[in-house]
Amino acid sequence: MKTNRCSILLILIFYTICLTQAKIINKNVERSLDISTQLVKELTKITATNSDGKPISVYTFIVPAADRKNLAFIAARDENKKELKYTEKVVDGNHQFSIAFPKSTATEVFTIEAVYTKKLIPHPSQIPQSGKQLVRYEGNLYLNSLYETKSQKLSVLLSSANILSYTQTKPFNVASNKIKYGPYENIEALSNQSLVIHYENERPFLTTTRLERIIEVSHWGNIAVKENLYMEHTGALLKGSFSRYEFQKDARSGHAIKSYKTILPASASDVYYRDTNGNISTSNMKVMRDFVELELRPRFPLFGGWKTHYTLGYNIPSFEYLFNAGDNYQLKMRLIDHIYNDMVIDEAEIKIILPEGVSNIEITTPYPVKRLPNEVHYTYLDTVGRPVIIMSSKNLVENHIANFNLKYSFSKITLLQEPLLVVAFFFIIFIIAIISIRLDFSISTTHSHKD
Amino acid sequence: MNHSPGLVSRRSVGYKSLITFTVLLIAWLAGFSSRLFAVIRFESIIHEFDPWFNYRATGYMVQHGFYKFLNWFDERAWYPLGRIVGGTVYPGLMITSGCIHYILHTLNIPIHIRDICVFLAPIFSGLTSISTYLLTSELWSRGAGLFAASFIAIVPGYISRSVAGSYDNEGIAIFALQFTYFLWVRSLKTGSVFWSAGAALSYFYMVSAWGGYVFITNLIPLHVFVLLLMGRYSERILTSYSTFYILGLLLSMQIPFVGFQPIRTSEHMAALGIFVLLLIIAVLRHLQSVLSRSEYRKIYLFGVIAAAVIVFTGVVILTVLGVIAPWSGRFYSLWDTGYAKIHIPIIASVSEHQPTTWFSFFFDLHILACSFPVGIWYCIKNVNDERVFVILYAISAVYFAGVMVRLMLTLTPVVCILAGIAFSNLFEVFLKEDNNSNTFAHKTISYVEDHDDNSMEKKNLYDKAGKVKFRPKHDTLHETRSGIGSNLKSVIILAILMILMMFAVHCTWVTSNAYSSPSIVLAFHNNQDGSRNILDDFREAYYWLSQNTDDNARIMSWWDYGYQIAGMANRTTLVDNNTWNNSHIALVGKAMSSTEEKSYEIMTSLDVDYVLVIFGGVIGYSGDDINKFLWMVRIAEGEHPKDIKESDYFTDRGEFRIDSEGAPALLNCLMYKLSYYRFGELKLDYRGPAGYDRTRNAIIGNKDFELTYLEEAYTTEHWLVRIYRVKKPNEFNRPSLKLSERILTPTNYITKKNPKRRKGYIRSRPTVIKGKRTKKLQ
Amino acid sequence: MESMQRYVSPVNPAVFPHLATVLLTIGTFFTAWFFVFVVSRPKNSKERTLFKELSISLCASIFLGFGVVFLMLSVGIYI
Repeated sequence: MKTNRCSILLILIFYTICLTQAKIINKNVERSLDISTQLVKELTKITATNSDGKPISVYTFIVPAADRKNLAFIAARDENKKELKYTEKVVDGNHQFSIAFPKSTATEVFTIEAVYTKKLIPHPSQIPQSGKQLVRYEGNLYLNSLYETKSQKLSVLLSSANILSYTQTKPFNVASNKIKYGPYENIEALSNQSLVIHYENERPFLTTTRLERIIEVSHWGNIAVKENLYMEHTGALLKGSFSRYEFQKDARSGHAIKSYKTILPASASDVYYRDTNGNISTSNMKVMRDFVELELRPRFPLFGGWKTHYTLGYNIPSFEYLFNAGDNYQLKMRLIDHIYNDMVIDEAEIKIILPEGVSNIEITTPYPVKRLPNEVHYTYLDTVGRPVIIMSSKNLVENHIANFNLKYSFSKITLLQEPLLVVAFFFIIFIIAIISIRLDFSISTTHSHKD
Repeated sequence: MNHSPGLVSRRSVGYKSLITFTVLLIAWLAGFSSRLFAVIRFESIIHEFDPWFNYRATGYMVQHGFYKFLNWFDERAWYPLGRIVGGTVYPGLMITSGCIHYILHTLNIPIHIRDICVFLAPIFSGLTSISTYLLTSELWSRGAGLFAASFIAIVPGYISRSVAGSYDNEGIAIFALQFTYFLWVRSLKTGSVFWSAGAALSYFYMVSAWGGYVFITNLIPLHVFVLLLMGRYSERILTSYSTFYILGLLLSMQIPFVGFQPIRTSEHMAALGIFVLLLIIAVLRHLQSVLSRSEYRKIYLFGVIAAAVIVFTGVVILTVLGVIAPWSGRFYSLWDTGYAKIHIPIIASVSEHQPTTWFSFFFDLHILACSFPVGIWYCIKNVNDERVFVILYAISAVYFAGVMVRLMLTLTPVVCILAGIAFSNLFEVFLKEDNNSNTFAHKTISYVEDHDDNSMEKKNLYDKAGKVKFRPKHDTLHETRSGIGSNLKSVIILAILMILMMFAVHCTWVTSNAYSSPSIVLAFHNNQDGSRNILDDFREAYYWLSQNTDDNARIMSWWDYGYQIAGMANRTTLVDNNTWNNSHIALVGKAMSSTEEKSYEIMTSLDVDYVLVIFGGVIGYSGDDINKFLWMVRIAEGEHPKDIKESDYFTDRGEFRIDSEGAPALLNCLMYKLSYYRFGELKLDYRGPAGYDRTRNAIIGNKDFELTYLEEAYTTEHWLVRIYRVKKPNEFNRPSLKLSERILTPTNYITKKNPKRRKGYIRSRPTVIKGKRTKKLQ
Repeated sequence: MESMQRYVSPVNPAVFPHLATVLLTIGTFFTAWFFVFVVSRPKNSKERTLFKELSISLCASIFLGFGVVFLMLSVGIYI
């Protein structure tokens, strides 16, 4: 009996040891960190194997809680650039993204692309007009991973060769605006070595603090898009005075934002660019083959801490994005559109205004967004009002430009309601004229004479 | 031709009405489109300065409701005094736009309030032509009415104040004026209470719309008075004037700004006096019908003299006692034109208040200025009650238009009416056929009866020429009329038509070139490639202010730009175009014309955060603050004669110069420094010198200076608007350190003190022995 | 979803301005006819004209209504 118990215990211990020993190991990790713009783009290529050679079904990628609020976009792809699905949960303050592999093999090679916003802090936070914008990046030299890493490398791409300080953990190699760290061997799981780089970044630090995108669908053949944008320069704040003389003398723009390029869909027409004071005339439009490029200059150059706000709108013909089969219609449009390269949107609200009389509205989005309750919008020739679908989302980047799908049904006869309303309006005026001709308000029948 | 004459005449009445309606519609469309130059060339935006306040007030009313607007106290203007908007504004304009906005939004037509405000004046110009048509057809005939309506639709004198984007009181006031006059003439002709009440309601609308309602208040009593003098008294005058006066008085006192003025100020006393006089004369006439002749004569003489004496002395006593206020400065300066320059320099400084030149009479009226005396002559020759009115209107309008350029606007409607009468008569003379009472065989020819129709029947003229020879002798009565040969007639008609076409061309040209600039957006054309450069500096600066300054920031600038700053940048201003407080404006003027130290005291006492100046030296803009500077000095001198003297800012020879020979007071004042800060280093083109001011065509005198108390916050692209931030007092003493920064860096000093020897010592301490001189320290 | 075609407007957008002008002109003509008809009828006459007035005004309002709709579409207010 004792030996039985001992053997069971030993078997259990051996089993747990086996279980604990049968863990995933990152054989090779190659990380590339692009901090040349205001975004931190991290591309991690992981080769993972199982310690006992069994196929891997689930891999867990972790993001520390401190970084989670800066994480705007994360995606996992396998070797053939196909998307892999992941689920997120919070464990012990770390956010775990569990990636499920459709085909479990012993060795899995995949890439994880992550984009972080607001991780580059301007340091010093206030600079004069002619100063250079220096930013600090703080992160982890090693990969944040639950598993042991056999060998990993890190290459950092900066915006300029002017590096003030960087973490010097051997082996590393600096070449103009690139720093290569590694290879580091046998790193424990969840190990953290701080990586601080202080360098000059003259790329524009422009944030769209709020975007309101209104898409109005008309069944007479047109979709009108209108965007209200609130922009702010989130780089180093301007200290002291702004001298127009210095600004005009210095041809290099420095860290101020003078203009940027917005890309509109291909058949955009009737583009308008204005704000509350009226039309802004400083813009250039170039119609290319696949898109329309709009070079926008805000009314004044944006220095650190300066804000501006404008409205941009255009018309697109409905045959680009609206499909129908009988009474069922489907709208496939981008949830948000390109505003400028390496854009950051703090908060976006998307409204879709559908014509009167639509029903059975269903919407599917490429990534989860918050759906607000429907509203009603009144515009020309409306009686009951048009339904408005409202969605909102936070912390969006360029990778979030994707199509949503809106299905609804609408009968063609309802289109006739608008002309008939105008006809009725004119007819009522005529009837009022007919009636008033027949009325007689005179008190007496004699008329006074003219002199 | 086989129809009964009744049907023909009804049909022709129908077609005549259709032609009238079509001509009026075309006049409306022509007037509307002629005012759209600025909107097409630039965009739909409010122009100039005053309309921005009206737009902001309308926006406030639309947002907060009518009662909040009537009780609005604006604390973002005239800081720190504030402005009682509800009681100091004529609300008619805002109420009109607000009503239109409300009606359209109830019908779910979502037009923005700014577009309604921009297009209100062109729409009301169409209504003005219609009411001018109604007035002239009451006075003369329908044909003259159509002429007058077409003239007033395009005449430049009216377009100058009612172009699209000029959202000002005159746009609707002229319509209200013409409509009130039409209703008054109609009520005088018919003597009905209905029309007089209508006239009183229209007068109420006019009072709510414009301060120039005083003109109606004095012209109609003058008309009644002249009619009484001419011996044309009738019961119709009694009915219409008494109804109009009482109802109009009660209604006009409902406007908060007018309040009790109609019974307390001298400008309204004439109406009251005439009312009393009219009642007395009516009583006397009634007595005349009751009493016998001799009794009546005694009472009549006694009564009239007593009444006149009582009324006159009553008014004089009340004025002397102060119960009735004397003529206010604005209206007094119309009689005594030199008054304003000495006593109220603000009124004298406005360019619209200068006397009118002959050039502007022709520029604004063209051929109408020549033909309107002809109209007066016709009215005098065929005088009746209502034509007396138009003669008086014309004479008073001509006087006032000669006093101030701005009052050309009141002359324009009457000129159009009388010119319409003149042209109508002219055409009537030369188009008239000799077929009225000829007994020759004309029955086979069908003709149109009435003379008022302006249809041209040239096809019969050549017939007529032949028939003239066969005139029987008893038609020689008509010789004076029919003596005009048909060739002469066609030549004259052609010449007049060409003159009218040239009038239309001139009006359009004037509108396009002189009156269609929004003045908030400047544009100039490149000589090389003909492209257009838009200078949007004003809006750039105001938008920067609205986005990048604190919401409660206070902006100091000259009063011209106050309304624009409040409207576009939405910031608190110190002084604006209302100019109701001369001392406050003088304080700002003193700040601008003193040196930096003295003006800093004024700015801190007024809590100013930013200062805004307009500087045109880089692009050659001549309406900038340096050109207005002398008015700032004059206004400041009026209140602070000890501190500011105008002569200090001129050179010894009396010139106003900004170059190195300029007066030192000018070269060191705040306005100079703010305009030319860092300008001395700027080279406008490679060949020229640095610091060359294109507006004054001189190199500036004081080039390299620094500002101690202000800091440049923003300058627009073409240096047109310059904004400076006023430094707070704590920025001048030692810089304040945050608590976390108050750290002393550790030194390498190691103390030599130990527990045994705690006393410190002074290195190289001099030894002092009493009575002996100390050695020199090494 | 796969069988869906691209949606085009029932009326070709290039035709909007022409259609607007034609319909508005016809509507104006009917309005003018109505106006002359009503004005040339003296007061207190005993003729029965109600049916004619109603029919002219109905035609006028139909043409004017559709003309206004196409005018709004051609200007850019896609209703």
